Amino acid sequence: MAKKEVCSTGIEELDNKMNGGYPLGSTVLVTGCSGSGKTTLCMQFLFDGARKGERGVFFTITEPLFKLTKNLEGFAFYDKKLIESGMVNIIDLRIISERLGLDAEKYTVEDAGALLDILKDIADELDVKRLVMDSITALCYRLQTREMIRDFIFKLGTSLAVMSCTTLLTSEVPPQTFKFSQYEIEEFISDGIIFLGDVERKGDLIRTLQVVKMRGTSHSRTKFSLNISSQRGIELVPLLKSTEFESFLKR
Amino acid sequence: MVDAIIEGIRERVSVAIRVNQSVGIQVPENRHGDLLEAIFGSMLKNTHDIWTFVTVSKTFDYLSKTFREISQHPNIKFIDCISRSAGIPIHNNCTYIESPTMLEKTILEIMYNFKGLKGEAEKYIVIDSLSALMIYNDGELIREFMSLLMNKTRSENIHIVSILIEEEMDSNKLIQLNDKIIVLRDSFID
Repeated sequence: MAKKEVCSTGIEELDNKMNGGYPLGSTVLVTGCSGSGKTTLCMQFLFDGARKGERGVFFTITEPLFKLTKNLEGFAFYDKKLIESGMVNIIDLRIISERLGLDAEKYTVEDAGALLDILKDIADELDVKRLVMDSITALCYRLQTREMIRDFIFKLGTSLAVMSCTTLLTSEVPPQTFKFSQYEIEEFISDGIIFLGDVERKGDLIRTLQVVKMRGTSHSRTKFSLNISSQRGIELVPLLKSTEFESFLKR
Repeated sequence: MVDAIIEGIRERVSVAIRVNQSVGIQVPENRHGDLLEAIFGSMLKNTHDIWTFVTVSKTFDYLSKTFREISQHPNIKFIDCISRSAGIPIHNNCTYIESPTMLEKTILEIMYNFKGLKGEAEKYIVIDSLSALMIYNDGELIREFMSLLMNKTRSENIHIVSILIEEEMDSNKLIQLNDKIIVLRDSFID
């Protein structure tokens, strides 16, 4: 049987759970509340790719560039040279919006479409193999109606499907909920869903990671405890099951 | 007399730990200090062995002041699960866990200490103590923690010594977790 082409995640334990990584060319929704590790997971993915000669781009709409890079500096996976050499590109979508003359707070469908075209052009021009959008929630927040959001997300899905890169879209959800997205549409354009949550243990919050869906590969659906080491980045270990019961009782 | 007891404990622990993958030591509270001295003595005597000492009962700050030699030894690494949550001063040559409830993180840090080690050195983990962990976690969770840790360490040929303070925990639970149990009494060893 031919070996499936995969794109490594940058996290050894996660690769092991998904037969080597994300299926090549897939769109994966990385969903979780604030502080759950979404941005770190995405950055680890990009820097891992860059080390393997795969160019990546990180589109941010939530954090200024200087803050993003400053937060990365402590991690062992971070390498400033990979940014300077253009193997990892970090682009602030707000700056692009500004240059396009768009209202920073409110987008029309046309505005969002124009922005999407620019993203596509950048990805094509740089020949990126790994793309991250952080976050789809913040981008959709600028659209005025649910219909506009739905249309934009489907257009985004169509655009990503024809691009030759593996994409991570981050999605913000409220804490302590088992919900994958803010608008409940994002998951439908995604080939995979990685859910970052937390469980409470004696008042302390333990970060968790679960691969809920990953089309094109068999994968573990076990819940893992996620640790963000200030040096080593994201690490996974099986979550002790008794925690789940305790957390459930509290709800 | 005290030295003879410590030497006796040290011998007994050394033999048991080499034969078994996991050894549980049940000790009365008033002999806990002697046991630590015996274990630290073993660590210093076998300088080629690699050790990770997980402390839940005494802070690293206290241990480093009481057993100065041990805290500076390159083959002995410490993981302190209690100082951070108690706001006690921290040191550079120790890994601190935010809370003793962070059991999975403790496993990751333990395994990280042994990652990439090659050669013939024997590898050991000491957990001081299971009974202290049970102050902060439910018993079922500690059993699961030990089971996961044992499975992970067994494949890496790492031995585990776990300490139990007699007054703080039902000894039957510890017996179920370890390959071998040593019971220390006030004046003799079972």
